[in-house]
Amino acid sequence: MTSFIDYVLGGFGSGMIIALMALALVLTWRATRVVNFAQVGQAMFTTFIALSLQTLTGSWVIALVGAMVAGALLGVIVQYLVLRPVKRADTSGAIIATFGVLIALQAAAGMIWGGDSRAYPQPFGNTAITLFGREWPVSAYDLVVVGFAVILVVGLTLLFTRTNLGLAMRATAFNPEVARLSGIRVGRTLTIGWALAGIVGAVAGVLVAPTSAISPNSFDILLVFAFTAAVIGGLDSLIGAVALGIGTGLILSVVSGYSDSSNAPVVALVLLAVNLVLKPEGVFGHHKARSV
Amino acid sequence: MMRDLLRLPGARLVLHAAVALLAWLLLVGITGMVDPLMNYYIALMAMYATAMFGMTILVGLSGQVSLGNGALMAVGGYVFAVTTLNWETVPFTGIAMNGIWAMLFAAIGGVLIGLLIGGLGARLRGPYLAGLTLGVAVGVPAIANRFPELLGGETGLQLTVPYPAGGYAAAGEFVDEAFTEDFPTEQQDELPTEQIEDLPTEQVEELPTEQDASGDDLLTLDNFPNEGDVLTEGDVLTDGDFSADGDDLLTLDNFPNEGDVLTDGDVPTDGDFSADGDDLLTLDNFPTEDELPADPSAPDGALDPEFAVDPDVEATFDGLDGLDAGFILEQWQAVLAVSVACIVAFLALNLVRGRQGRQWRAVRDDSVAAAVAGISPGRSKVSAFVVSSVFAALAGAVFAQILSYVGPGAFGLGLSLSLLVGVVLGGRGSLWGAVIGAVLLVWLPEFVLRAAGDRGWEEQVTNNAPNLIYGLLVVAVVLVAPGGIVGSLQSLVRRVRRTPASPSAAGLAERVDAGVGKDDS
Amino acid sequence: MLAVESLTVDYGPVRALANVSLQVPAGEVTAVIGANGAGKSTLMRTLAGLVRPNAGTASLEGQVITGRKAEDIARMGVALVPEGRSTVPELTVEENLRLGGLWRSRAERAATQQEVFDLFPILGERRTMRADTLSGGERQQLAIGRALMCDPTCLLLDEPSLGLAPLIVTQILELVKKLAEESNIAVLLVEQNAVTALRVAHTGVVLNLGTVVMVGPAQEIASHEELRHAYLGY
Repeated sequence: MTSFIDYVLGGFGSGMIIALMALALVLTWRATRVVNFAQVGQAMFTTFIALSLQTLTGSWVIALVGAMVAGALLGVIVQYLVLRPVKRADTSGAIIATFGVLIALQAAAGMIWGGDSRAYPQPFGNTAITLFGREWPVSAYDLVVVGFAVILVVGLTLLFTRTNLGLAMRATAFNPEVARLSGIRVGRTLTIGWALAGIVGAVAGVLVAPTSAISPNSFDILLVFAFTAAVIGGLDSLIGAVALGIGTGLILSVVSGYSDSSNAPVVALVLLAVNLVLKPEGVFGHHKARSV
Repeated sequence: MMRDLLRLPGARLVLHAAVALLAWLLLVGITGMVDPLMNYYIALMAMYATAMFGMTILVGLSGQVSLGNGALMAVGGYVFAVTTLNWETVPFTGIAMNGIWAMLFAAIGGVLIGLLIGGLGARLRGPYLAGLTLGVAVGVPAIANRFPELLGGETGLQLTVPYPAGGYAAAGEFVDEAFTEDFPTEQQDELPTEQIEDLPTEQVEELPTEQDASGDDLLTLDNFPNEGDVLTEGDVLTDGDFSADGDDLLTLDNFPNEGDVLTDGDVPTDGDFSADGDDLLTLDNFPTEDELPADPSAPDGALDPEFAVDPDVEATFDGLDGLDAGFILEQWQAVLAVSVACIVAFLALNLVRGRQGRQWRAVRDDSVAAAVAGISPGRSKVSAFVVSSVFAALAGAVFAQILSYVGPGAFGLGLSLSLLVGVVLGGRGSLWGAVIGAVLLVWLPEFVLRAAGDRGWEEQVTNNAPNLIYGLLVVAVVLVAPGGIVGSLQSLVRRVRRTPASPSAAGLAERVDAGVGKDDS
Repeated sequence: MLAVESLTVDYGPVRALANVSLQVPAGEVTAVIGANGAGKSTLMRTLAGLVRPNAGTASLEGQVITGRKAEDIARMGVALVPEGRSTVPELTVEENLRLGGLWRSRAERAATQQEVFDLFPILGERRTMRADTLSGGERQQLAIGRALMCDPTCLLLDEPSLGLAPLIVTQILELVKKLAEESNIAVLLVEQNAVTALRVAHTGVVLNLGTVVMVGPAQEIASHEELRHAYLGY
């Protein structure tokens, strides 16, 4: 029982990362009805930028902010140059194009920073917290990760529900034609959605890097986990992405704890398959609260 | 006239069979004329084409974007490996197992996994299916870790390629001697035999004996042995000298001209060395005169850059006795891959150009209209998945024989992505596109490496350049030429001839162009 | 006033609109009637900027609107209510209305919203409900309300009667007429249901196969026996 609790708690940090990456996928999906499979590639690229900044300045905060700016820019570039011009009748085209971007970004990162895994310096304590006379499988850094995720989710929720931009984004996602007829600059709104997703992905990348390592392919598996979480959450739902992201992290942590971490992708695949068969619209999708 | 003939019952079948047979004869003829490295490339291209015929049907005709076909290949490869390694006879029959049976079992494995994943995916829209198959691409190879005893875990399984009698069997004693097997035929031609007898001992002392991780002691122009030199223990490359991705293999640009000895294709890679270094080439097991091939016209020209796809691939140069015994291993692998590709091409031609192909296209273009016309969209999508899965499994079985190995690393996400890249660049929905895509997948890295060599690019630039080009090309093709190379050529030809597009031959480009309404966004 | 000059639209080889010219004066309802496929919706979508014309212009108070983006045309004061009760069902009534004039100042928006609630009281009662819980008639009112939120000088209504009970259609169209006259808005109404449309319209335009067959006072067209038989099918 003790180990079970440890495994569950140990999954929170990674669950939050999955949640953030799922959030990024949901943001682009809501904006443009495209699942951006290049999202982890963008996050990987901005994390390398963060690593370079960190090495240069020694400041974790500057690195994080730099990654966020780069993430926003990269999101805008990918949306504007790649996804916007895809011919709409070519339904497979958008999906294929995002994989093209992923391949190109991974190769570009390999060119610039090399193919080897690099350690990312840990900004805060990585030791387990001791409380009530026992050690918990949670570090101060895990708490920071959770904190960031909570801030981002709350901030995005407020943005979507309380601001004109949020309303414009939601209307554009649900019915772009009515949005245009209402005078909303739809193209710009979509691009902002991608920029936001880029920022969230960049944060996720910088947060996850110290706990694993960073290489051009190191986030591939995160894409599978995040996609699983986003789809089970309903793809349209921010709350769903976060809840299922954390849930996926916990499940994978327990599975890895009791068996072996190499089983995680198989478990994610099974979760995804079962969900797609039983409830393709997702837990939070469709008839439940869709607007955040 | 031709068209009238084609209307006769069975005429298409005969035509397709003739096309496939001609292609097979031509390709098999080529394998007998080229060197082992070229045969290795031919085998790879045929293997890719086999898998991509399935992708053409799945992605192009049926409109289902799958990222998982690399994993489907893994299923075929593993079924092939496990059945050949564990079964002496075919179950329930008592017939002795052979490569054909193992391929058959691989195909059955393909049917089963295709039914499973296709059944799950049939009701899913584009991005959901892509995500599910992405999970398949990452998750299925990981299953190998779950059953380390049966499937070999992370390290995978080594297997002996079933080989026609009189060839491999006669040369069997070299199988275990990895480096001996790898030993370059050229060098054997050029090595002055006297020098083997009186090895210069002073030189042995001068050669670097320590190997550090910095790679200083890699074979380079500076320390490359001169004509009179013979390799000794100290300068043999070991595991530590190779980065995991094979970056530092000797390539064209750093290869010495005068007195060429080792060629990069011959440089041993990680997989060739056992951990304890037992099989390193040393003075003791250095090939002696009588082991050298008698025929001075042994294949040369292996002066090619490193392998395109997987540097870990064992560059087996079955020189020595194998030459006299009949087929060379590479040639056999190429013939095998070409044969499977031609059979699959024949099947694919019949499916694509027949009623089934029309049904797939109908469902892709408008599943509601297709359903109204009596075609079950679900069944149509699953059938496309099963067909592509069988083709992928066969390709996987061929791949296992080309590598003499199966392992999760060989069938990873990269392989799945490669298949998608090849199909998109060649032309979605065109079988010729699959062939062109296969050629591109094998040769583009070669051209890049050559270009990089000429320009003196850094290694990490060179190694990533092919993928960067692939990625950018895929985006460019989707944006400006959705029909890929074949679609673009077709529309070019049509523009020149100014003939109206025939609906079946029209590439994706036309469909997509016509589909764009007047609405601008 | 909205003035349309020789507007021509082709869909590939098909000519949807051929040389269409008409005028929509402020404070009046102009009804475009015609059979299915006459080009009515194409005309509306072209005026709103969703479709680019191949030739010809449309101008609002002398300013050319054709060739501009739909969002800019909306901001210039041309509001289209497309066919099929175009609300955003996932948003609440109030959010749908807010959407209509998002770029305007908060005070302006509040004032217009009050006017809309005065015009369609039911929307005020349902302001926090999601649009997909409304009835068909309520949603049509919401769609018109959304269009009014940008304080339009020209309102384009595409088939507002579609799928609604005749009584409700009459009510809504009477409101639209009142709105045109009181707020001095130029209303262009496209209808297949010619009788209802001509009852509220000042001017009638008969469209057939992309060309204007006749323009005249609504009453005159309604009573034109041959015209009715030839183009309107009743």
